[in-house]
Amino acid sequence: MITVHAQYQSRFREITRVEKESFEIAEPTMVALAAAITGKYGPAMTALLMDEDSKSLNSRGTLYLNSKGTRMYLEDGLADGETVFFMVGIAGG
Amino acid sequence: MESRLLRVNLTTGDCKVETVPHAMFERWIGGSGINNWIMWEHFLTHDVNCDPRGPDNIFVFGVGPLAATGSGSGIKGRITFKSPCYGIFGDSAAGGKFPYMVRFAGFDYIAITGRAPKPVYLHLCDGDVEIRDASHLWGKNSAEAHNTLVQELGDFPSLAHTLTIGQAGENQVGIASVVSDASRIHARGGGGCVLGSKNLKAIAVQGSGGVRVHNPRGLLNWSKDFRQKIDQNEAIYGFKRRGTLGAVEMYQHIGSHFWRNNQGNMFRGDEVRSDNWVKKFHKYSEVCSADCYIACDGRYKLDGTESEKAKKYVGESFRRPEYLTTASAAGALDLRDWAEVAHWGKVTNDYGIDNQDLSTSISFIMELEQHGLLSARQKAELFDRDNQSLEWGCMEDVEELMKDMVFQRNRFGEFFHNGPYYGALRYSEFRGENFMKYATYGKGGASFTEEMRPFPTWMNNMAVASRGADHLKGIGLIEKFQRRDLSMKYFGRLEAADLSTPVLKGACTAVVENQVALLNSYGVCLFHWMLDPGGYTPEDYYGRAFAEVTGIDRTPEELMRDGERICNLEKAFNSRLGLRREHDTICERWMFEPCPEGMYPGKVAADMFETVLDEYYEWRGWDQRSGLQTEARLKSLGMDDVAEVLAADGALVRA
Repeated sequence: MITVHAQYQSRFREITRVEKESFEIAEPTMVALAAAITGKYGPAMTALLMDEDSKSLNSRGTLYLNSKGTRMYLEDGLADGETVFFMVGIAGG
Repeated sequence: MESRLLRVNLTTGDCKVETVPHAMFERWIGGSGINNWIMWEHFLTHDVNCDPRGPDNIFVFGVGPLAATGSGSGIKGRITFKSPCYGIFGDSAAGGKFPYMVRFAGFDYIAITGRAPKPVYLHLCDGDVEIRDASHLWGKNSAEAHNTLVQELGDFPSLAHTLTIGQAGENQVGIASVVSDASRIHARGGGGCVLGSKNLKAIAVQGSGGVRVHNPRGLLNWSKDFRQKIDQNEAIYGFKRRGTLGAVEMYQHIGSHFWRNNQGNMFRGDEVRSDNWVKKFHKYSEVCSADCYIACDGRYKLDGTESEKAKKYVGESFRRPEYLTTASAAGALDLRDWAEVAHWGKVTNDYGIDNQDLSTSISFIMELEQHGLLSARQKAELFDRDNQSLEWGCMEDVEELMKDMVFQRNRFGEFFHNGPYYGALRYSEFRGENFMKYATYGKGGASFTEEMRPFPTWMNNMAVASRGADHLKGIGLIEKFQRRDLSMKYFGRLEAADLSTPVLKGACTAVVENQVALLNSYGVCLFHWMLDPGGYTPEDYYGRAFAEVTGIDRTPEELMRDGERICNLEKAFNSRLGLRREHDTICERWMFEPCPEGMYPGKVAADMFETVLDEYYEWRGWDQRSGLQTEARLKSLGMDDVAEVLAADGALVRA
């Protein structure tokens, strides 16, 4: 088991109603973290986080960064203590 | 597909209508593409080096073929002109209801030349055109002028929709903007100055017509699919209420804001760096146009309880600030209260002035004060008054300097009316001392209030954008959002999504410029594309809608070439004005000063800049040494006629 932290912004935070939280996951992967989050928050979070067509993390208007500022994908591994930031991906205006 | 072009000569009062033939859409798609060609042709018979504030400049308004068709993809109207502040190609887009009402009034393009002997406005109504006296509108701000016209013109055959200029345009301030329906702004490049120089206060349109579509059933099917894709995108749920303010928290996290003249890249103050806008200020949601499935616009009305500073503006109501309005206020000027950020958005709209170049001009002078480079005597020389305070985050100081600029009250207004680059040049000359290291700018001297240094594609956009430093010509989303899937799709490699390497960043700029040129020519909103309902492919998904509307059925590869052709015409215009590789550059701060904070500290543009620029020219097929276009590439795009003009001007490489 490892502990990973999730930090949420905007639409993600509207669904979770918390700014950050920690998960204990058996596998050190984004797959396991995504499953834990969608399992906890249900269909709205699943629709926001997952792309059912490609079976990957939804990339439309969303952005997931690790603490080094690198985008996370479902196939990426996670280190114990890592923080993943869940954000909207919008620019300009 | 045919449409109507209205030509107005304000010197003679002549108005005539021409048909825009189908062949024009075959070559230039519509919207910005056709606007560009109208301006290009104009300057084949007029001096391209003319004074942009003189009667020989042209002001073109155009709407793309998808606009007002019911496609649901938003509408952007576009204005195109020779920029009075940067002296290069100028254009700017805005949404709202004015663009579709132009079509309902029986026109798609309006080209205005000459100069009226006294203030006038243009009234378009169901195919009729009239130049009317505007002496009663002169001196009013953009909203007052709009409201007066709406009241005067009544509601038959429709309510009036307008483009107006504020006092900044009347006073021919270089960075003056054109305001659409009092609330949506064609901000960049100085279109308001061009209208002011022509004594044209406003264009008002009323109409009851419709828009012809080649295959209505096909468009309806596309539109249904588009709607479904948008409704299935959960991220759009949040976007509807926040609009581009959704970027505030993300930018705060990665360090992409522009704080105090980009001395930092994160907002300070708990209020503005959080989501408080949505919680406290958002009162009403609005649709920008009637042809948008997202409806991300919002409106506030202050009751004084929202924040500490809100009580200064009780009763004030306006559109929710967009991200760049916020970036200029909470970032460049360090205003830390949402009420002041919102007020900044309203007053810059009312005066009709670009908040990017205005905020960076003010923040330039505030930084000089911060470093002790302005004595009391020097400030008195600049402002024609004693004891002008220049305190970061002080709205009262900001408003005084804004009025200096809008009303041209003193040397500050005079020096900086073309933005921070030319202002810094003139002030350095005035003082006999070089202050250019404090000016933030890119191509053309234009400024932009976002952190650039960690983002090579974004940085390259600032150096090469045809209208001067700007993100909307080639917005670097593949890189900023690190979209490996898109990097693979367009390049078959991952590096375009990797911030650590210059590889594919120039290529990425070129490809996205072509895509954005297409979207701007279709006349749709970039946010629909950015939120990706159609797979981020304007040449594919949107291309099908373009075919249903126009009957022009193109492959994605052909459409990308169309986008490339449009970009090349903008480039050719600038080449005729003498722009070369050395003009594709950025300021000293972005180039050499290490990024001070955020997620990517220590980055400087200089590490990658020349490599990225070389690659950009290579992908464009342009000459790397001079930055000029080549005859071979232009001919391959079917632009032999353009190549001939450039050759005659000594602005073409024959290789």
